[in-house]
Amino acid sequence: MSYYFTILSPTDAPLFNIAFGTSKSGGDGIARFRFPDTAQYMNQFIIHSSLDIVEEAQWMNGNMYLKHIDTYPPAAAFISAFLAPSGARFLLLHQPPQLPTAGSAAAASTGVGAAAGSGSVSGSSGASSLLGSSFAATASSSRTSSSSIAANPTSPQTEEAVRQFMNEVYENYVKTVMSPFYRQGMEIRSPVFRTRVTAAGKKWL
Amino acid sequence: MTSPGDAAPVKPPPSFSPGVARASSTSRYSTHASQRRDSVQSLDSNHVDPSVGPSPPPLSATTELPIRSASPYARSLRSSTPQLNRSSLASPDGGRFEGAEDVRSLIIRAFSPVVGVYASVDTDDLVHQKGFPGGFWGLIRPFGEDVPGKIVIRDSVGSSRGWEDYGVRFVDLGGQARYPPDATPGQPPPLTQIDEALTKDLEAAENPLARTLRPKDLAGASTISPLYKDFLHQLLSIPSATPHETFRHPVASVIAISSRNTSPLETLRQLYADTTNGDRRLPEWIHPEYLRYYVLVHDEDRDDIAESTKLYDQMKRHFGLHCHLLRLRSNQCVVTDDDSVEVPECEWVSPAERLSGSAEPLVDLDTDGRLYLFESDVMAIKAFVRELVAQSVIPFMENRVAVWNDQVASRRRGISGRFMSMSRRWAGFGSSSRSSLTGSAGGVSGNYDGARGFYRPDVPEAVLRKMADFAFMLRDWKLAASTYELIRSDYANDKAWKYHAGVHEMCAISLLLNPVSMPAKTKLGDIDQMLDTACYSYHTRCSDVPNALRCLTLAVELLKSRGGLATESAARWAMRAMDLGLVGSIGQVLLSERISACYASRPPLPGVRWGARYRKAGMWSVLAADLWLQLGQPSLASACLEEAEHLYASVLDRNEGVFPMPEMQAFVDNLRHTIQVEYLEARGLNTQESLDAVPPMDTQETSEKLDKRQHRRSLVVNPLESGIQDLADNEGHPDDDFERA
Repeated sequence: MSYYFTILSPTDAPLFNIAFGTSKSGGDGIARFRFPDTAQYMNQFIIHSSLDIVEEAQWMNGNMYLKHIDTYPPAAAFISAFLAPSGARFLLLHQPPQLPTAGSAAAASTGVGAAAGSGSVSGSSGASSLLGSSFAATASSSRTSSSSIAANPTSPQTEEAVRQFMNEVYENYVKTVMSPFYRQGMEIRSPVFRTRVTAAGKKWL
Repeated sequence: MTSPGDAAPVKPPPSFSPGVARASSTSRYSTHASQRRDSVQSLDSNHVDPSVGPSPPPLSATTELPIRSASPYARSLRSSTPQLNRSSLASPDGGRFEGAEDVRSLIIRAFSPVVGVYASVDTDDLVHQKGFPGGFWGLIRPFGEDVPGKIVIRDSVGSSRGWEDYGVRFVDLGGQARYPPDATPGQPPPLTQIDEALTKDLEAAENPLARTLRPKDLAGASTISPLYKDFLHQLLSIPSATPHETFRHPVASVIAISSRNTSPLETLRQLYADTTNGDRRLPEWIHPEYLRYYVLVHDEDRDDIAESTKLYDQMKRHFGLHCHLLRLRSNQCVVTDDDSVEVPECEWVSPAERLSGSAEPLVDLDTDGRLYLFESDVMAIKAFVRELVAQSVIPFMENRVAVWNDQVASRRRGISGRFMSMSRRWAGFGSSSRSSLTGSAGGVSGNYDGARGFYRPDVPEAVLRKMADFAFMLRDWKLAASTYELIRSDYANDKAWKYHAGVHEMCAISLLLNPVSMPAKTKLGDIDQMLDTACYSYHTRCSDVPNALRCLTLAVELLKSRGGLATESAARWAMRAMDLGLVGSIGQVLLSERISACYASRPPLPGVRWGARYRKAGMWSVLAADLWLQLGQPSLASACLEEAEHLYASVLDRNEGVFPMPEMQAFVDNLRHTIQVEYLEARGLNTQESLDAVPPMDTQETSEKLDKRQHRRSLVVNPLESGIQDLADNEGHPDDDFERA
């Protein structure tokens, strides 16, 4: 799994960005997105486009953690969101690693088999949304089947892990923005915050 | 969308411009009437022919956009125009205006009944003499596609409805090629052909000499892009008579002889015998009992009408009422004749014919590739087609549907069907009481010939499918949907996967076409489920790519025309089609544009600002622009980018038209720049020359904007944007700077 985490101000300006990879199941913590290196702007496009959904979802329930709200199927990118009371939004894009066989067409259609392969997970992919199921199945790879989070981005385990991560980041965020040298809407440059987020990512994702 | 050239005449005076912007955005929620006016206005401005007015320099389209413009004055002036258009997009009627009816009609007409044509040799000779290489079939084919006048169809509950756009498709049963056409090994698969045809269209659009599609026409989200329509059209024109669906099986067959024939009745019998059990017999899986329609072609120029009338009376005695006397002149008609009428072009041309046909005009330059007919002939053929359809084909189909509904379907509908004969259309409990009636124990009926892959045409499964298809072609979607529903599980039990896929596809489509039942959210879920099954069966179980693509594209279009929640579903299916790799490179771009249009057509929730999908729509437009650029189509890319910026306009309003995310901004700026450069290169102009071509005011504006932007970036507001500058300057390491910051 590769992650792209961003904090957006209420006016959609990015306050903080970090890209990292999973550290579970032997991951080295380096992000490997499916886009070529020249196309990293895609992460921002996807995050930005999911703001449409965030705006809608934030009025639909009272929780701060909005769970998995959006999917960008062509790149199998999943977006989870968390709302801070100040109106700042934490968005986490997670993207499962590409299958070793790059034939995405065949992989997507044999989704049932692939999901069964990662059976150590809860097998809840069937209950997920229409496209979620098939694209989640694209995502699951036999290499990472030992780790529950990497295998299935829409499983309850993943939701829970992301929630823990978001909460920890939120705690640190509150501490950071209470610094007397921070003004609202400013970019967060604190290296301490960055290391804390990295640590949270290592811990939960 | 409006190009700056179109917008220029209606530019409001600058002092009012902020007010205009606000007023139009509030009017979105105020009165219905103002919405109408807005949308009408914007439609009007769309329909302004650019060739009539002062043609706008296409380059300026990308240079003076809300996002780029720096001075607040220029920005508000710009944003007033997009706002107007936005309201037309966002209004509840927006979906209807977007050519939705057009697409719907296209889809409906794609499933027209097929009528076979089998003419005697002398008839074909007569028609050849008139200059038609295709014989009798080629002569009447274009006239079948649009039957003049209203065709009244009675549905299963007895209510009648008239249709203006009814048509049939004539297919040749007597030509060199057998019907249905086999996939000859030399030919590429149909989807490749579609791709080739689209490439040709694009090249034609590029070429200024033979410009059939102007880039202006190709772009624009308020109407459906012609290129996409073309794609859809060709996709639906693939001639695929297969066992699993009966749309392309002949409903009737025209048997034609001419007055030159020396032994007319024997010839008619011979022709009939050929199609029934002779060498022209249709494949086993086509139901052999279709309507035969006998036509006597009378040669006005050479033969005696009295003789023909006598023969015609004789025919009527022998063959019953399904006869027609068609009076044609056998002389060739040329343009210079007084009453010459140009033969209309065929609308439904298969991709293969299209590819081979486009070479023809080069061969016979003298006739310009076009054929002409005498007006009297045209009238006669039109009358013949109308009579054939209105008095024979439609009643025959109605009759068959009624009979099968009585004999097969109502029994399948269980005990309730017998008592409640009034509600034929109502399908319930089908699966519970079915097995006892088909006489099969358990799930498998044994009617399916697994080795050869089809049902014989007389078993209940095949008859029901045919009945549902007939109902579909008669536009009785309610009956069709309920019948498809009835047989859905049968095919799964028999593991007849192609049938299974087809029936799910058509069930979903007829539910979507049925105008009465607006699917609620649960129903949308059902439809999604059916489409999913159909797509899976077509693509994975049968690896039938054209049908899988057809299924998904139809679903996209129909869901989109539903509006509201369904548009999102539509976008998802379009993404699925891209994801499965069903389309070629041009198809990918067209689908991207379509996804953007789907998202754009979703209005914000009433009373609040959120709920729309402008960001998503904008993203897909930008991606489409990028893809067009990769295909070397800068003008189309420019149109897409312009569209994207209109879509982003409302979202980026509070950020003064600048993307909050630096990498996005950098990408869009780069894209815009590359498009400009490539556009100029493609036009073969050097930069200086083109700048001269631009009206002086625009040039001034552009350069001014560029300067000011630099200032604003470095001085004003967002501290992050200093990062953008760095990014734009040294492209080598894109995000390091930002990450560390």
